[in-house]
Amino acid sequence: MSTARAPFAPWDRRELPGLFPVEDSARRVGNYKWTEMRLFEVLGGWVATVPELDVKLVLGRHTYHHAWHAELWHKRLPELREMNPDRMTVPPNDAFVTFMDAVREPEAADETIEKLVGVYRVLIPRKIAAYTYHLNGTSPITDAPTIRSLKFALQDEFEDWRDGEMLLQSLIDTPEKVERAIRRQAELENLVLASGGISGPGSLGETAARTEVENGS
Amino acid sequence: MKKMLPEAELARDERFVRSRIEDAFLDPRGARLADRYTGPAKMAADRPAAAERSRSLMHGIFVGEIQALEGAGRTCFDFDDDEAPFQLKLDMARQCWDESRHCEISIKLGEHMGSEIGEYGESTFLYAAACNPDPVLRLTGVNRALEGLAIDVFNSMKEFGESSSDPILTFCEDWMLADEVTHVKMGSDWLRRLTEKDPERRERALEFQRTVDKIFSLGGFRGESEENPIQLARRFRELAGFTDGEVDEIAEIARQAQAEAEAMSQAAQAAG
Repeated sequence: MSTARAPFAPWDRRELPGLFPVEDSARRVGNYKWTEMRLFEVLGGWVATVPELDVKLVLGRHTYHHAWHAELWHKRLPELREMNPDRMTVPPNDAFVTFMDAVREPEAADETIEKLVGVYRVLIPRKIAAYTYHLNGTSPITDAPTIRSLKFALQDEFEDWRDGEMLLQSLIDTPEKVERAIRRQAELENLVLASGGISGPGSLGETAARTEVENGS
Repeated sequence: MKKMLPEAELARDERFVRSRIEDAFLDPRGARLADRYTGPAKMAADRPAAAERSRSLMHGIFVGEIQALEGAGRTCFDFDDDEAPFQLKLDMARQCWDESRHCEISIKLGEHMGSEIGEYGESTFLYAAACNPDPVLRLTGVNRALEGLAIDVFNSMKEFGESSSDPILTFCEDWMLADEVTHVKMGSDWLRRLTEKDPERRERALEFQRTVDKIFSLGGFRGESEENPIQLARRFRELAGFTDGEVDEIAEIARQAQAEAEAMSQAAQAAG
């Protein structure tokens, strides 16, 4: 009896095409690694500056999550033809550096809300969006290793976002603190908007979408 | 946020009370207490003050773990990419997670043993060892001296858990001990890698480790006799990569520290 079967099972609906050529995927991955590095560094640095014990311990745990993501991206870069990962470990543009510097700026012991808002209400949602766009857009066959890393990272991002949001909700217990959180979020949203996001303009494909509309396609 | 956060700026809630280690050792009541010899200082379940001493030690472990977490976190932040390799920072981030778990374990063990956060003072000399501006010296001071001490402490606590028939204490200390062996190995690896071509820097780092080891042995806290509350854990230190010679050296430092403490105690008694 023949054992010959179709190479793809009937339920395997993956297709070859994807939005990103190798260079684009590598560029994004390099931006991700840069962002994850700056993030894990500052979370580690903040541990000593927050008096709230529960926040301190959560930051310690999350420091490792983002360091591990940086390591995943570091290992992926040579597989995307970038033999010198440091060359690609860069921010998308200067405006994004300004945004990350602002996220990392608070230091005082009474600025826990400002620290957490920057990471859990602005940066991590942006990361979730950019990673999801990459995950949904890249070729599920040719770029499967990136997809696997994106899924691991996203699982952490969702859980970390929830941890951070719950800490924030428990810390924001007066109308004044609501105002502080809103002010901080607005300030950082404007900065990240100016940068275009984790991978610069097009982080969520806006440029591509706009081009398609403009071309009438 | 600035690089290099001084010890005095460590953030704590109002339950924590900061104490200075020198105050404890220069307290004249210590000499009088030592005079009333009630048996060996080694942790043992049959001693009258065993429960109180183990609670106090557990609180010391807890605040030590917070400071170890803070120290590893600052190493992620304090050094630029050209000062500390990417992989070293990844190791420190991993250590942050481990120390964060150790804090959680210590808090729960403290409750299990009947104490609470802030019941005892906190001396921040562990974090002070983690403030060295040279990453190699910091790694050596923290991962070889501080984490080495943690091996001794956890092994002593584990044995205390066994002798007092406390399976929860024994179980938890054994898990933390496994992490500490990993952290010491990490420190030894980085010391070797970063000073491969710089023997002078390696010697400075080892000298710093000796200084920190001496502080950690202060007053005979750690050693190999019945008079040391914390016993040097030779077997686990070997697992962590310490050579016999290195462990002998730490034992000698501990003996010297104990002799100095006894001399200070006698001098204080004569004066007072």
